[in-house]
Amino acid sequence: MFNFTPEEKKVILFLLIIAFCGIILNNLAKLNCHIKKLFCPQVSLAKLDLNNISLEELIKTRCLSLKTSQRIIAYRLQHGNFSSLEGLKEVKGIGEQRYDKLKELFFVE
Amino acid sequence: MKRLFAASTLFYCLGIILVSCAKINFWLIFGLGIITFAAACLSFRNKFIFMISVFFLALILGALSLKNSYTRHKCQISNFVSYNDVVYNLSGFVDSEPEIKGKHTFFVFRVQEVQVDKLRWSCCGNVLVRLDFPQSLNYADSLILQGALRRPYVFSSASCSYRDYLSRQGIYLVMHIKNSLQIIPQLHKGGSRLIIFSFWLRSKMDEVISKYLPDLPAGILSAMVLGQRKAIPWLVNNSMVKSGTVHILVVSGFNVGIVAFIVNLLLKIIRIRRKARIILVAICLLIYCLATGATNPVIRATVMGLIFLLAYILKRNPDMYNSLAGAALFILIINPRQLFDVGFQLSFSSVLAIVYLYPKLERILRIDSCKIKILRFIAEGCLVSFCAWLGTIGIIAYNFRIIAPITVLANILIVPLATLITLCGFTLVLCGLFCPFLAGFLSTTTAMLITLLLNVNSVAIKIPGAYFYF
Repeated sequence: MFNFTPEEKKVILFLLIIAFCGIILNNLAKLNCHIKKLFCPQVSLAKLDLNNISLEELIKTRCLSLKTSQRIIAYRLQHGNFSSLEGLKEVKGIGEQRYDKLKELFFVE
Repeated sequence: MKRLFAASTLFYCLGIILVSCAKINFWLIFGLGIITFAAACLSFRNKFIFMISVFFLALILGALSLKNSYTRHKCQISNFVSYNDVVYNLSGFVDSEPEIKGKHTFFVFRVQEVQVDKLRWSCCGNVLVRLDFPQSLNYADSLILQGALRRPYVFSSASCSYRDYLSRQGIYLVMHIKNSLQIIPQLHKGGSRLIIFSFWLRSKMDEVISKYLPDLPAGILSAMVLGQRKAIPWLVNNSMVKSGTVHILVVSGFNVGIVAFIVNLLLKIIRIRRKARIILVAICLLIYCLATGATNPVIRATVMGLIFLLAYILKRNPDMYNSLAGAALFILIINPRQLFDVGFQLSFSSVLAIVYLYPKLERILRIDSCKIKILRFIAEGCLVSFCAWLGTIGIIAYNFRIIAPITVLANILIVPLATLITLCGFTLVLCGLFCPFLAGFLSTTTAMLITLLLNVNSVAIKIPGAYFYF
């Protein structure tokens, strides 16, 4: 009926396979919530953990000066882990504007 | 000479480089050009002298085009501006898709008229506008902006500064707006209707992606399929730079190929004739190029694709080098200063390295003799990745001060995954637009592949010696 080239046939088959995989994954996710981890990337892949980050790693981000990085670590040692990202505002040298940028970079569990 | 066009383009580029290094008068180059042209006409029958004249003429054309790009138009807005906190009223329209970064909005504004006090005059040129508040604006919205105009800051060294970067795009002024009262919307629309349609199409496609995928996979797919990088987290971008796989986050020739393939397939299913199909594919490629922001890699791939389609209609064999040269020439004629853009250099050097080195290395390593199909496929993948790495290593090391030996291995694993994701992404967008009941199933597989890609990448950069800055 249709005069498809071998490549076109392969693509059609491929699309059918991904739809098929999708149905199976959807079904498995409904039965087992751990399966969801397969298609929902962990937040640690996109952001840095503010409570576990070292001074070296903070400097490597190149978003903070050495002094501000040291202040963040000192604040963590003094007050314990950050309970929320808002805590960053209490660190000296981090204003509203800097905080807006940093909240894209870090997460707090 | 089979590749006269490619060789002429090379000389055109040399002309641009020569003039950027030495200060030569425009009219002197023009005079040289006339003499060379006369020599080419006189030596029409002498093949050797004619060839040399043509190459020299291409070199002079390159030099002239760069000199010409430095000359600003008489009505350029930057010619009328004094930098003394004078408040200007600029009339014109938004000439780019506004980008919202945190609390700021950035866009390029095409100026048509300027007013200072009661003095008003027509002018042209672009201004980069920064708003200190998020504002809902679209391409082609006509506005009157009130504010002071300044030259862009020089953030880094004078040879590669932010000011140079903007001037390469024809932007010589910036306007900083702090208050929404400084913006007066107008009723009529400016800009091109084709671009308005392309941006509308992109926003629809973006909506589909965000509707069916979680935030992070949606951001990555949006970058891979639509060239929208605003939702990519810094950490993801940075880890991909380290593994040398950041190229998958931009729209490139591969995406253009997929668009052409999918459109052709759909048109074939609805039984449209071959010639009409090719013309429709070409139109779709142009729309896709505009929708993704017409960046250098997309323009390169689109021009190459159009050359291939033309060759298909004319039933001629397209030459890879000539079509690559055609794409480079197309970009450089519009803006010769693009030759100094890192994106341009990376895009063309990687393709050139693959086209030139791959067949040679394949012959030396005798990959064809491998009888196991999967092994041959993997070896070919490694070789393509290796050639692209060789072609770009110098530019990357010079500009970004990073060498990433992991690139070859990371690309072998990540490029096939990215291929699958791009295919799934396009199918998801099409299904989301035309048959949403199927999109839900496709989105799960797409999200799973993106998660896998992120995990592979994060493992790759953790290998000791994966990358080093110098």
